[in-house]
Amino acid sequence: MASNRQIKAKASAITLTSVMMLGLLAGCGGNNGNTAGNTGGNAANSGNAANTAADTSPLNMTFFSSDPNPNWTGMQDEVGKVLTEKTGVTLEAEFAVGDPGQKVALIAASGEYPDLISAKTDISKLVDAGAMLDLTDLIEKHAPNIKKVLGEEGLKRSRYSDDDHAIYAIPTYAGVDNKYFDAGGGFELQHRAVKEAGYPEIKTVQDFENVIKAYLEKHPTDENGNKNIGLTLNADDWYMYITVTNPAFITTGSPDDGEYAIDIDTQEVTYHFRRPAEKEYFRWLNHMNDIGLLDPESFVQKYDQYKAKIATGRVIGLIDQDWGYGDGERALKAEGKLDQGYGHYPVTLSEEYKEASFWPTGFMGGNGIGISVDAEDPVRAIKFLDYLASDEGQVLINWGIEGKHYNVVDGKRVIPEDVNDRKYNDTTNFQKETGLGNVGSNYALLSAHYGDGVLDPTGSYYTTRFPEQVTAGYNAVEKETLAAYKANTWKDLFPKEEEFKVKPWGAAWNITIPGDSEIVVLDNKLKDITWKRIPEAILSKPADFDKVWDAYLAELDKAGVEKAEDLREELVKQRVKLWNE
Amino acid sequence: MKAETVTAQIPPDTRKRNKKPASGGRFWKTFKNQKYLYMMSIPFVIWAFVFSYLPLWGWTMAFQKYKPARSFFEQEWVGFEHFKTLFSDTQFLLALRNTLAMSSMGLVAGFIFPITFAILLNEVRLGIFKRFAQTVSYLPHFVSWVVAAGIVTKMLSSENGLVNDILLGIGFIDAPVQFMAQGHLFWGIVTLSDVWKETGWNAIIYLAAISGIGPELYEAARVDGASRLRQVWHITLPGIRPTIIVLLIMSIGNLLNIGFEKQFLLQNNLVTDYAQVLDLYSLKYGLGMARYSYGTAINIFNSVISVVLLFTINGLFKRTTKESLL
Repeated sequence: MASNRQIKAKASAITLTSVMMLGLLAGCGGNNGNTAGNTGGNAANSGNAANTAADTSPLNMTFFSSDPNPNWTGMQDEVGKVLTEKTGVTLEAEFAVGDPGQKVALIAASGEYPDLISAKTDISKLVDAGAMLDLTDLIEKHAPNIKKVLGEEGLKRSRYSDDDHAIYAIPTYAGVDNKYFDAGGGFELQHRAVKEAGYPEIKTVQDFENVIKAYLEKHPTDENGNKNIGLTLNADDWYMYITVTNPAFITTGSPDDGEYAIDIDTQEVTYHFRRPAEKEYFRWLNHMNDIGLLDPESFVQKYDQYKAKIATGRVIGLIDQDWGYGDGERALKAEGKLDQGYGHYPVTLSEEYKEASFWPTGFMGGNGIGISVDAEDPVRAIKFLDYLASDEGQVLINWGIEGKHYNVVDGKRVIPEDVNDRKYNDTTNFQKETGLGNVGSNYALLSAHYGDGVLDPTGSYYTTRFPEQVTAGYNAVEKETLAAYKANTWKDLFPKEEEFKVKPWGAAWNITIPGDSEIVVLDNKLKDITWKRIPEAILSKPADFDKVWDAYLAELDKAGVEKAEDLREELVKQRVKLWNE
Repeated sequence: MKAETVTAQIPPDTRKRNKKPASGGRFWKTFKNQKYLYMMSIPFVIWAFVFSYLPLWGWTMAFQKYKPARSFFEQEWVGFEHFKTLFSDTQFLLALRNTLAMSSMGLVAGFIFPITFAILLNEVRLGIFKRFAQTVSYLPHFVSWVVAAGIVTKMLSSENGLVNDILLGIGFIDAPVQFMAQGHLFWGIVTLSDVWKETGWNAIIYLAAISGIGPELYEAARVDGASRLRQVWHITLPGIRPTIIVLLIMSIGNLLNIGFEKQFLLQNNLVTDYAQVLDLYSLKYGLGMARYSYGTAINIFNSVISVVLLFTINGLFKRTTKESLL
């Protein structure tokens, strides 16, 4: 009997083990098959809006944003506390890490949506899942300030698509009537390098190269014997766009339309790498690599290594945006190495091109914040967003608290010297403490807002970026360099907006793509090819460059680049119709 | 492993009886006898069912054009379309190649190094040194891959990287080598970083198995005049053979599921052709683009291959060594 029991014990032990083993295997395979059942828009809650007067009872809302916000303190900073006081709202925020598309896809599939969602163009995934509320009526009834800020044109441009005129997102990324007062892009050179070269005119890649070359010849190493670096790029993940691929069209006179170049008159779309001019741009980078001016680690290093390298002050030239290398430069500033900071120059491939950084897009609806169908109280939510869009709200999130972060002198808002100093030179700590920043406050992208250079009824600007403030933010060395170029701001060096024709479609990168469109897959395939081949072309021997480039173009053809162009063209034309009808 | 120990305890005569077909009556009798055992196992069966079998329902997505908002009955069925796309995608085939290459290399290295290390450590007589070496060697296991990848990239960097500095110092190379920029080195780098990180940790289980070997075997061998090497070969290695085989079978079943952390963190655009692995591919081309169905299809492929591998290798071992997992 005893032995019999053992047999059975063995049998069940085996069964158990195998069940568990299979379980382990199966566990890896099963995707979450949960479907989101709650498609019906339950905006009907608006009935309980009887308590119309500002309801400031505590309300916690969840919020998802595709863009990281590293200085977010959970509204525990000074401005955040006032916001909670005024509206009763606290936000429980989550920010995408890595690829936001994956996170948004997960949110869409899970069926549990945050109350407020700012998902940029990925919003189409949520709209397809029926997760977003149509805000048209809510704005009409409860959001006078948003209506005022956006105006009729802005609301028209907020509509989702030609087939679906609903407003799923309030544009928050674009400031209404925004004017640019400073340039943050272009090509960057350390102040000490241009100074030593005698402040030459820097218009073409050749000028740029000459300054770096001359400087490196004189100073091959820093004071500790470490090699100085001519030009370094940041090819880590999507920064590839910013420092490697986008400059190719900016320097050859084509504006930023994502991965496409669009003819302003015929709206004919080309995958921008296929423009012959860009081949020459990459040939120049190839040449930079050949003569040893390009950092050989450019395509290997990670973002933190890139920033650390800049913080050592050894990098003479950059092709980046100020927010990309800002952390590194700030470290230099904090150490007082002001002459190792960077100035921005409108570099083009050759004289015939016009630098396209400031090609105007008109007001860009599209990317913004929306309310999901899971929001318990959409009316409170829209009112919260409306408060942020009000004059009071905009001043609060941009300027801070009166008497603390700014004073009113002669009826105008003025930022005290010490606050301004911290804002520019101790940015991170200052932003964590107050919620205010020099590039954008923690709350700047939460609702519709006026852009830089717009005056409020009191005659002060809504934002803290206006000509006087921009110049006040420059340090002594920056002022010296600018003076040498007879400019007040970096932007003065760049071609002006007025020199270009406004693009009627805004920008192609902010056109939402329908979830089931083939473009998504095509674009990704093209991107994978490009990101692989461009570094290869740049690092190849100059003699092989043409061969590598031809192979690259052939590969694009095979992957269906023309189809991608046609599909994109269709979307652009729809956008033009939607915005200009 | 459980099955193995149970088999060992059963006297030879009962093995024969086991082969007789059990009639229904006997099943109920034993069921009654062992009702407590069955009751004890119920929570685990439920657990396995809920977490492992219920989600299999999601596999239906692979045969649909799945959209989140629709109910199951509103989905559009497309048959094997996603699988067709999958097998005709060169990127997928590349990812499959890389996955198999890296996991095979990892498998080989992941057995040779920990086993050798465990045996060497076992032969060390000095207790303090042994414990010290063991602790130091498994510490990297607790370092996350994010940090480990940072260390590896820094070490292999062409600018002040330790490896390049040493190689330059001994005159092995004339100019710094861009290790991270060369596709054909990538698999090796991944495997070696894995060895550095996991050897100590994986050796623990072998050390435990070794300590289970009776000392009288070694004493007898010594009396017979066996050298240390002979003892290792004839006693230690055969002693841990069952452990090795069980672990081997399990890791072969997981050949395709190598995760993507290390590849993702160590890769850069220059080496993607060698760094793209299946999990990363399914993340990027599946979920990343909200192609839920496509992602599911990839995972079904993964699971099916894993099960086939597991049973094949298990059967193979059963036949040749009489030791197996299932």
